Amino acid sequence: MSSSDTPSFQYPLSWRILDRAESVAGLWPGRWSSLTGYLFLVPALLLVFVLVIGLVYIFDYSLHELDLSTYRLKDAFSLVNYQAALKSVTYRIVVLRSLGASAIVTLITMVLAFPYAYVMVRTRSSFTRKFLLISLFLPFFIGQVVRAYGWLIILGKEGLLNTFITSLGLPPVKLIYNYPAVILGLVQYMLPFAVLLLAPAVTSISEDIELASEGLGANWVQTFRHVVLPLARPGLIGAGVVVFTLTLTDFAMPEILGGGTTDFIANSIYDGFFQISNPGLGAALSMILVTLGSVIVTVVFFLAGTGTLVSTEGTP
Amino acid sequence: MRKFDNVPKINRRQFLTGTAAVVGSALVCPGLVFADQKKPKEIIVRAWGGAWGDALKAGVADGFTAATGINVRMDFTEDNEIKPKIWAAVDQGRIPPIHVNWDTTTNATISALRGVTVDLSDLSNLKGLLPLAKPIGLDGYPLVNTYAYVYVCAYRPEAFPDGPPKSWNVLIDPRFKGRVALYDDGIGFNPIAVLVGGGKLEDIPDHMEPGYEFYRKLKKNEPLLGEDADFTTWFQNGEIDVACTISVNARAAKEKGISVAWTVPEEGCKVDTDGLWVPKGLPPNEEYWAKQFVNFALTRDAQKKWCSMLGLPPVYPGIEPPADLVGDISYPTKPEDFKKLIRIPSKVLVENQPKWFAKFSEIFQG
Repeated sequence: MSSSDTPSFQYPLSWRILDRAESVAGLWPGRWSSLTGYLFLVPALLLVFVLVIGLVYIFDYSLHELDLSTYRLKDAFSLVNYQAALKSVTYRIVVLRSLGASAIVTLITMVLAFPYAYVMVRTRSSFTRKFLLISLFLPFFIGQVVRAYGWLIILGKEGLLNTFITSLGLPPVKLIYNYPAVILGLVQYMLPFAVLLLAPAVTSISEDIELASEGLGANWVQTFRHVVLPLARPGLIGAGVVVFTLTLTDFAMPEILGGGTTDFIANSIYDGFFQISNPGLGAALSMILVTLGSVIVTVVFFLAGTGTLVSTEGTP
Repeated sequence: MRKFDNVPKINRRQFLTGTAAVVGSALVCPGLVFADQKKPKEIIVRAWGGAWGDALKAGVADGFTAATGINVRMDFTEDNEIKPKIWAAVDQGRIPPIHVNWDTTTNATISALRGVTVDLSDLSNLKGLLPLAKPIGLDGYPLVNTYAYVYVCAYRPEAFPDGPPKSWNVLIDPRFKGRVALYDDGIGFNPIAVLVGGGKLEDIPDHMEPGYEFYRKLKKNEPLLGEDADFTTWFQNGEIDVACTISVNARAAKEKGISVAWTVPEEGCKVDTDGLWVPKGLPPNEEYWAKQFVNFALTRDAQKKWCSMLGLPPVYPGIEPPADLVGDISYPTKPEDFKKLIRIPSKVLVENQPKWFAKFSEIFQG
């Protein structure tokens, strides 16, 4: 066999990739080595930067009035879109409806998610934990729109529930195309998010502390109220903020389950951009939504901390 | 020898059909056969889904493919959603996402005003079409109207044992509380609301208050607001008894076995048109074939098949209505039919629809 026939030795692929990465990293000045870890933040920062650029454009759109003779935004700067949005009774009601729904959904979701997360973390039964985990992740495989249509099938006039009601000789009940139906759909949608965010917080609570509490004479209600809940506060805040903001910006549930008369802000933004082809108004409503959400989250973080969303462990 | 087994076998019937398609196309649309423009593999036509898309495919797209060899891909993006995508593409010098837009005349007019539509004045098949084909208030043919349609009063016959509703006031009848529906932007009903609210045609667009007052009463009756597909679903699921919707949707529902009928109440119904347009910014050869698609859609055969499936009166003159729609005012053919229908010029719609929508939202979202 000639030497040309001998396969040349090669390191494993992963080694070669790391070698290349190291050679690239070698270009990084040595005195900046303490900052090397921050390089991993660059992709995420770039994504945020792109988002900010988009927001800047949207802000710019919001400052121009639509010219109905050409359906283009006028060159002149104007606050007419903000005036239209803030003076309109419709948008005021839509904003209040969205905020109200966000508060209600957050409250109900937290009440339902906490015991779920607690049992999932604390159970000794492997079967129960697996069952709860599968039940938790299953909805993620089903999109929001499909879930909303699922509710239509269940709650519709000839749906599962009304079929049962009418079989009892009672008249059918209108269960969809109203505000409660939207809330119900949103709670179901948000529940897995909340459980996923609460589970680490519950995991971090040592069982010994709960046992100590009970050992000192507290019943389970007292232990729950004075020990578990305060220690789970970071998780509750984190989950609450996520559920609140996701609900505030939701589009599909009010669109599908609301019957056209229970719009949220996102639906009004859609109408502005697409239905009436007024990107200026749609952009102004978008900026109001972003501002509203940011202010509320900032106030929550200021008053109650950032919860599990930002860990303070290890910081000087 | 074996390689010849892969050659598709053409029987006599297929050969004659293909030849007839090519010869026929050469006669009605010479550009289709003799064009020296390079053919794209496919053109993309934005369309509405369901019965609408089926009709366009069978009536126009399949025939165009047979005549040219160019596949037609339907894009079912919502008409309001494709609009800003095309606008952005044209403004940014990018190739638009579709070749032909099947659009409402109002939306198409808005795009024409924005200057993103290609002029279709040179299409050979424009000659001899009904005046309805020509867009009003625009120079040339930035779009071509292809048929008229009527926003009828669709109802569930079981809910009206004494016969069809005579007036649009049925929408505010408390007996049907929560069981009435209309479009979620008021489209198709705004002028009718003025009339049924006690106003006159001359009040439109400056004095819409009677219509708004009617909407306020209607709101108390808890209507459902939706899109084309919703109406079929709602009738199918027994959620509604009466709705203002395009006759195509009611007819399609009926053909699916859903119990639906329709009528033109005494106050009349709004009649409108849809059309086709080609966005600017396509490569020259693709723009050419997109225009040829529109031209093909205006041939007698295409108009007959497409519009008969939809149940709508085409802009090609002299085509008989489908048997089930003979004498139906929702398929207007005679001048007296049109007297019961209300047509608002596109210019008025374009300039006022955003204001009407804002008021509509204020009332129904409030």
